[in-house]
Amino acid sequence: MIAGAWLCLWAPLAGTVLILLGGTRMPRKVAAWVATTSVFVAFAGALWSFFALHANADHHSHYSALWTWLAAGKFTVPFEIVVDPLSTFMMLIVSGVGGLIVLYSIGYMDGDDEERRYFAYIAFFVFSMLLLVEGGNMLLLLVGWGLVGLSSYLLIGFWHERPSAVAAAKKAFIMNAFGDATFALALFVLIAHSNSLEFATSFATASHLSQSTVDLVALGLLGGAAAKSAQVPLHTWLPDAMEGPTPVSALIHAATMVTAGVYLIARTHPIFEDAPTIALVAAGLGAITLLMAGMIALVQTDIKRVIAYSTMSQIGYMFMAAGVGAFSNGMFHLMTHAFFKALLFMAAGLVIHAVADEQDIRKLRGVGALMPFTKWAFLIGAAALVGIPAFSGFFSKDPILAADLHDHWYGVVFWACGLVGTFLTGLYTFRLYFIVFPGEPSPFVREHYHSHHGREGSWTMLVPVGVLTVLAAVAGWIQFQPFWEPITHWLSPVIPTEPAAEATNWDDAITSVIAPILGIAGIVVAWLIYGARQRLAVPRIAWLQRLLEHKFYFDEAYDLVFYKPAVATATLWRRDFEEPVVLTTGSDLGEGTLELGNATRRMQNGLLRTYVFFLGAGMAVLAVVFLAVR
Amino acid sequence: MLGPGVAWYLGIAAFLFATGAFGVLIRRNPLIVLLSLEIMLNGANLALIAFSRHAANGAGQIFALGVMAVAAAEVCVGLGLVVAINRRRLALDVDEFSELRG
Repeated sequence: MIAGAWLCLWAPLAGTVLILLGGTRMPRKVAAWVATTSVFVAFAGALWSFFALHANADHHSHYSALWTWLAAGKFTVPFEIVVDPLSTFMMLIVSGVGGLIVLYSIGYMDGDDEERRYFAYIAFFVFSMLLLVEGGNMLLLLVGWGLVGLSSYLLIGFWHERPSAVAAAKKAFIMNAFGDATFALALFVLIAHSNSLEFATSFATASHLSQSTVDLVALGLLGGAAAKSAQVPLHTWLPDAMEGPTPVSALIHAATMVTAGVYLIARTHPIFEDAPTIALVAAGLGAITLLMAGMIALVQTDIKRVIAYSTMSQIGYMFMAAGVGAFSNGMFHLMTHAFFKALLFMAAGLVIHAVADEQDIRKLRGVGALMPFTKWAFLIGAAALVGIPAFSGFFSKDPILAADLHDHWYGVVFWACGLVGTFLTGLYTFRLYFIVFPGEPSPFVREHYHSHHGREGSWTMLVPVGVLTVLAAVAGWIQFQPFWEPITHWLSPVIPTEPAAEATNWDDAITSVIAPILGIAGIVVAWLIYGARQRLAVPRIAWLQRLLEHKFYFDEAYDLVFYKPAVATATLWRRDFEEPVVLTTGSDLGEGTLELGNATRRMQNGLLRTYVFFLGAGMAVLAVVFLAVR
Repeated sequence: MLGPGVAWYLGIAAFLFATGAFGVLIRRNPLIVLLSLEIMLNGANLALIAFSRHAANGAGQIFALGVMAVAAAEVCVGLGLVVAINRRRLALDVDEFSELRG
């Protein structure tokens, strides 16, 4: 069990190191397969530790420490991992979906100039995420957290010759660094009070702290989670992160990175339970994000950005679940989301790859006629995303909404937000589908479409899409609340659902009726507007459209509040300090020294007598001074 | 104690030293400069011996002997230089040797 977890952790890192050591001596194909194999070995390790833990009746947390990683007086942090139901659950998703995505990259990145670098990075990304979910104490969690930020930076900016990609990478890194900082500050508060970062000790300490201190810790953790999971107001990096290669987007959005925030809240749930206000804030952020992202997605014209906003929206659901205490529902949605979101990104990637790297949906009209497999895969992913009954999203999203209902008075508000979000999901997802796939191919598509030896892509790309299509369709059947709940049962030793978030059968029933109806209503509206016959005109509300196209002016506001004042201050300092003081001081000092030298060198006239005279005169002056002051 | 007081000796020593220093400062012939230097050293020696006698301590006399030895060595070097300069038919004038001016 423990060995499986260690194997799972080290395998992707070994892959990275191998590719780095191999360098140019290693053929590109070999590098690609090394990365893929390493991640699948990690999946095997995850399976091993899952089955071992499953066979173990008690399902307790097992810790395994390799060495003392940090020791400062009494404060020591071992390099340890934890194997419990939650971490094995995450390990399976990260390495499983991650492995499929890396396999897909082999076809997608084929022929890229720096393929080896890409595969080294992507294996490292998986390693970072595995360290995050397996880390046996808060500090290792933070280390994984930081490494995930680093590897996302490297991969978003992978095409470093594009200025926009570099800018997006920096933006992602800076927004994430903000979250890392609040996370670290929360850990400092914990260290100050408990002198330990072990999970159990920290949670026990948190329950004894004053309410304001616990709130502070929870707020710090929430800041980190919101930045990593792209929740309002720290979400602006996520859409820009679409500058990276498409498999990277799939990896960031499905298996790694954005789910880390949900994992963090679930992992540290005792702290959030002690700070109900902050938990409410988390749920509120989720609700706001899912609505905002859903609305922004309606006006996006970039195929990947629409999907990116839908990720934000879905993570909003997970935050809502985690905020009200329905952790296992959130984790279940995290899993199904990983399947259908990876599928949607990969299907989009197939289209982009086949049609001259074009991402503008207005140019890609009618591509489904040429790519039927992709069309069906995308359709199934979209159905799962919207939560059509029988597809996976239905089983995982509706319990989240049902769980909200009884959480005080505001639970109903969250529930309503979630339902509106479902309608928006149906609308924007099928707007994308109806614009891109059905109908006659546009001239642009006809001109630029090229198949891969008569197929829609290489087999390395089609197989992962096929596997994920099946998973997106059927994975939801694992759990059907309230009839069978193996995932909730599996996770309950680590993250028990709070009593307030226990949905009654009636809640489940009513939500499962209303949510799909609203989702389908969204699809119908999308069909009426964007379907082949265009029965309804696209509604034009100028101010709303402007608001959405500017993404609620978050970027502009940050520009105004942070960037502009910083630049103004810098300009001021340059004009009034740097240029008049700093720049002139150096040359003034130099010139002054030169002049002084010119003035004094006349004293050096080469005549011995002058020196003797000054020597004598100096002695005389000194004698007088000493006699005078004595 | 016999003889004049120490102040007299010091007066003569100071006079000798000043004379020597004056010579060093104003004369241009290196031979005379060396000679003036010797007078300065002897002024200092006189002061040392006067103090030695005044304090009834032999250390000053030993110092004076040391100074004489150093003076002899110094004169050797100085006269050697004078001879070297003269051999090259250069002017025996210390003011001519000012190549090290700034």
